[in-house]
Amino acid sequence: MSLATLVLAIADCKQLLGMRYAEWSIRAPTLEADIAAAAMGLDDLGHSRVLLGTLESLGPDPRGPDREQDPAAFLNVAFLDRPWQSWSEFVAANAVLDTAFTTMIEACVEGEVEVLQSRLRKMLMEERFHFLHGRSWLREGVEPGTLSRAWQEALEWFGPPDGEVAALHEAGALSMGPGQLWARLETKLGMSAPSVAVDWEAFDPLRRRTRPGAIDASTFEMIRGLEERRYMPAGGSRKKAG
Amino acid sequence: MPFARVHQSVAEYEVFARKSRSEPLHQVGSVVAPDQSLAMAYARATYDEERWVEMVLVPKEALISVWGPAEADQS
Repeated sequence: MSLATLVLAIADCKQLLGMRYAEWSIRAPTLEADIAAAAMGLDDLGHSRVLLGTLESLGPDPRGPDREQDPAAFLNVAFLDRPWQSWSEFVAANAVLDTAFTTMIEACVEGEVEVLQSRLRKMLMEERFHFLHGRSWLREGVEPGTLSRAWQEALEWFGPPDGEVAALHEAGALSMGPGQLWARLETKLGMSAPSVAVDWEAFDPLRRRTRPGAIDASTFEMIRGLEERRYMPAGGSRKKAG
Repeated sequence: MPFARVHQSVAEYEVFARKSRSEPLHQVGSVVAPDQSLAMAYARATYDEERWVEMVLVPKEALISVWGPAEADQS
């Protein structure tokens, strides 16, 4: 795995996270949380585009043609495969996974790769508010099984102790390896993670997960722009204004 | 339909912001939240329509009224 593939994995996770946030922008427990969900969704979709914009500076583009046909070609964590069915899933993703992605971005900004140092810094300012939102709702209480799953997927996503993230840390591209990323995540959230075990034999180093599966069909069509076409007038072209 | 709140205890915060260092902070709205962190997240999400250089929150209960609209109307 290259640094470009890791950045693509962050971008894919943020795109899916943004879409999942947006799905809850009229379903959250309070009106204020609805608005926050919409704002965080917009942030993460924008962050994904910024991350994708750095790929050309990081070597060969890791995006292949299979991304048009195969939802499993997207490098996202399993927690984002399906729309969330409960507010607990929203909060677990917001608090743990979003913060895990931010922690990895911090490792990029603090690393030695200039394009990541300069272009990713602004998103850390915006992510501060995602963190405040997620941490506060986390303190309100989350279904333990859901929270544990989010922690597990974060641990997997950081990668094994001797994996690619560790190698990128050794090379200076990242300021932190998996253990340091995990420790910073726990410190940020002010809590110890539940005891989770990872079957590294089942770890997919590209998608950074152990669970099989992929994005649901509806979301995949939306990513590819096919879902919107259902609402276009016959012929598929827009009318000119005036 | 009445709006149901899920939090047992919430506070209202007045939101103040300014677009440049040379202008004073002015009130742009308010938010209701159970703690300061969520109030900050909600204020930023709700009132992010401008490129503010500064945004601050003040708990409404911390405001000291010198006089109100009713008293001003009498003067």
